[in-house]
Amino acid sequence: MSSAAQKFLQDAAVKSADLVHREIIRKNMESYDAAHLRGRSRFKDWEAARRRCQEIKREAINHLDRYLLQFEEKVIAHGGHVFWAANGDEACAYIRDLAVSRGVRTIVKSKSMVTEEIHLGPALEEKGIKVWETDLGEFIVQLRNEPPYHIVTPAMHLNRQQIRELFRDHLGEDIPDADPQKLVALARRKLREAFFAAEMGISGANFIIADSGAVAISTNEGNGRLSTSLPRIHVAITGIEKVIPRLVDLATLWPTLATSGTGQPITTYSTLVSGPRKPGEADGPEEFHVVLLDNGRSGLLGNAEEREVLHCIRCGACLNICPVYRNIGGHTYNTTYQGPIGSVLTPHLRGSEFQHLSYASSLCGACTSVCPVNINLHHHLLHNRRDFSYASGDNAKGRTQFKLWRRAMLNSRLYVLGGWMMRRGLHVLYGLGLAGTAADPLRAWSRKRTPIPLPSQSFRKMWKKGLTQKNAVKR
Amino acid sequence: MERIRAGLQVPALEHADQNSEAQIFETIQNPLERFQQECKANLMECLLVEGQAASAQTLAQVLQSLPQGEIYVQDSPGLRRIIDAAGTKRAVRWSSEGAPKESSQATVTLADALIAQTGSVFVSASCGGRGASVVAPCHIVVGLVSQLVPDLETALRNATAEQRLENNSYACVISGSSRTADIEKILVQGAHGPIRLVVIVDTKA
Repeated sequence: MSSAAQKFLQDAAVKSADLVHREIIRKNMESYDAAHLRGRSRFKDWEAARRRCQEIKREAINHLDRYLLQFEEKVIAHGGHVFWAANGDEACAYIRDLAVSRGVRTIVKSKSMVTEEIHLGPALEEKGIKVWETDLGEFIVQLRNEPPYHIVTPAMHLNRQQIRELFRDHLGEDIPDADPQKLVALARRKLREAFFAAEMGISGANFIIADSGAVAISTNEGNGRLSTSLPRIHVAITGIEKVIPRLVDLATLWPTLATSGTGQPITTYSTLVSGPRKPGEADGPEEFHVVLLDNGRSGLLGNAEEREVLHCIRCGACLNICPVYRNIGGHTYNTTYQGPIGSVLTPHLRGSEFQHLSYASSLCGACTSVCPVNINLHHHLLHNRRDFSYASGDNAKGRTQFKLWRRAMLNSRLYVLGGWMMRRGLHVLYGLGLAGTAADPLRAWSRKRTPIPLPSQSFRKMWKKGLTQKNAVKR
Repeated sequence: MERIRAGLQVPALEHADQNSEAQIFETIQNPLERFQQECKANLMECLLVEGQAASAQTLAQVLQSLPQGEIYVQDSPGLRRIIDAAGTKRAVRWSSEGAPKESSQATVTLADALIAQTGSVFVSASCGGRGASVVAPCHIVVGLVSQLVPDLETALRNATAEQRLENNSYACVISGSSRTADIEKILVQGAHGPIRLVVIVDTKA
């Protein structure tokens, strides 16, 4: 077992028993569930919206070369720059060099999971550049020096008292009643100073639009707008899979993303940036750079079965519904992308060290049922498991188990005998008080739970009795 | 690009053609009524007026309700007339003089379109610039009913046809005041941008 897998199991055991954490997540998720359902009911046909989004993304991903080149051509025509980064190091180096060469001392960032993926913040701070996260949730986790807990709501794991204490310790102002309105106002005041001082703004992109050469950014707070309006340089960094063919595609994608993300009909600010400030415009950056990041994504393109994982629009719906995420929380995954999509994606982006995440699922399929672009998430977890098993070579124990199982399934006498031995054996074992010990084959369940009540007879017997006593009479 | 092309060499999986003709959103019967409803849901103020004089009067009333201080106004002939008619005593900074100051009490702009489906105003850089709709605590939009389109799709088709992103470096569909729910999912208005968004719609235009 890899060290990441061991840590995952340890952290999961601790988190799932943390009652305060459970209560915070329960409250958050209940509020999301209600908003999400309300939001979906605003569509005449939610399933048609999902299909439409799936078609848009499929068209884009299957012709990724064409649409990315079209996007690049447009951005350059608008006076912007496009940099193709093969990996995180190249992307960080480009932005760091740009910042250094332009004398940048302060950067305001709007929320971007890609910058978390490549650890851009630390790379810039090494050069003595101050980086401000300006999304409130990101600002909070930055002050706590921890990664985002959730891809949409980064500080979901904290309550207002914890945030009050954090602000008191780091911003030097106390809000005794921990009123969210006042906490937000305090963060607003502090971040305003940063917005007006910064020379560079860095944003992510929810979509990049081929036919318009524009970057689409959805935010509710307006921090994305200030980051892309006030500083003199704007850098947008995004994964290559974010491209969509047409501006009009957003008529379906924007409402579907907002509904899946927060339950809103549309995000408050659905912003489009197509270049640096034009002559005659009142304000805006003088320079506009787009960094297109591969970082393992093109590898997924070559995997026909799992290519659709690149359709993901990072709405977080699969995290919110996942029974595993709801119990172990976001930090336990120890990855940039958590929950089902993270479990599918991370082994591809970061290697087999994270393959254990493909098993962090009950395969219930809840994630697939809510995905707004219809990604077959739980099947991809199975694909990952299969590929991992083949790639890891000899699996003698597994093969023996499956051989025995196969034999029993093909021979009813053997199956009956196996069942009988199991029942008798467990009766004796549990009678001796050994339930949940190393001798118990059902230890995974009974270690921390009441043992399953053992039946006195087999299912076959019960079935037969049922037939003779009731059903047979009816016949 | 080479890696992308190499990846795409692998043929995509077959998929059944799906019926994408199904109607995703309800048809909007009465755009103005829907616009008002959605503005209310988005916690915006939608004020219907008749004629330019009434627009000016309503604007004057909104400005009176704000704290003392400078306002920032998109420099357009129409807004110059309305500001004149509103007779405000405040200092006015016009967008032709540069970006809005942080101390602005309000910004007044036009819109490229109003969208009924989501209760949104569609602005671009030509509406007074980028900061004009986000820097001040109050953003006032002076719109015309003739700018109202039923849905996002129409708004985006028009934007494509008019090459709005070729002619502007920036555009935004704004659907309410700035907000956050990052603390315990409790809605707070005025996170980084305007706390108030007021749309004055001239129904005579």
